Amino acid sequence: MGIKNKEESNNETKLFKKKNRPSNKKDNPQTSLKAPNKLKLLFTIVDRSKAEFYIDYLENFEINLQTVIYGRGTAPRNIDYLSIAEQNKAVIISVINDKNTKDIINGLEEKFLKVKHGKGVAYTIPISSMIGVLIYQYLSNNQEYRKESI
Amino acid sequence: MNNEYEVILCIVNTGFSEVVMETVRECGASGGTVINARGTARKEAEKIFNIVIHPEKEIVLVLIPKEIKESVLHSLYKAVGLNTPGQGIAFALPVDDVVGLTPINQKNEGK
Repeated sequence: MGIKNKEESNNETKLFKKKNRPSNKKDNPQTSLKAPNKLKLLFTIVDRSKAEFYIDYLENFEINLQTVIYGRGTAPRNIDYLSIAEQNKAVIISVINDKNTKDIINGLEEKFLKVKHGKGVAYTIPISSMIGVLIYQYLSNNQEYRKESI
Repeated sequence: MNNEYEVILCIVNTGFSEVVMETVRECGASGGTVINARGTARKEAEKIFNIVIHPEKEIVLVLIPKEIKESVLHSLYKAVGLNTPGQGIAFALPVDDVVGLTPINQKNEGK
């Protein structure tokens, strides 16, 4: 088994090297014909003390731009039986790739349920239009396009 | 995942966020988030329409089910519309994926 694995990994490394060879400097038609990814705005509203935690968590999903706005919650006091909920909230606005939406939302839901004092609300709003190619590339973390255009 | 919810953004003069929340709660929503903001307006417009625009504003974000959107916007218009001291503007944006609403909220919203 061990030998087989080694052989496989050798083959893989060979393929990898072949792929990475700078032989084809021209645009690869398969990559240049890709439809642009859609972008969305993700609003995450959490306790202020947990804002940093969620920003770090969201950065794992190829997010290049995040903004935090400080706000305050207005939930009625009678829901908060033990008055442990923080009234000061942070609104994190992140520009995300549409294809990552499901992973992010599911991940956030899990964190909302499992992290202590990490309760929050998250929702996404589609971005309908945008101007500037470089800005788009930056927001969608699209490094392939960037390399080709240089 | 589904388009059952919308987020309402209501921009009002400072101090009126509680009025907004009371109005929204009467329509069935449970909680919201308030952000402090600063408004800008053309000075000439202020003279023409003979109104004073307070630069200090509050933005209230409220997630609501789509069914109560009309009633919420209508009552917001009546409570903190541009003709009232609140001088509010309210609009709704469609929301795609929502997580984190507690069962308590969902029960209240269903009523």
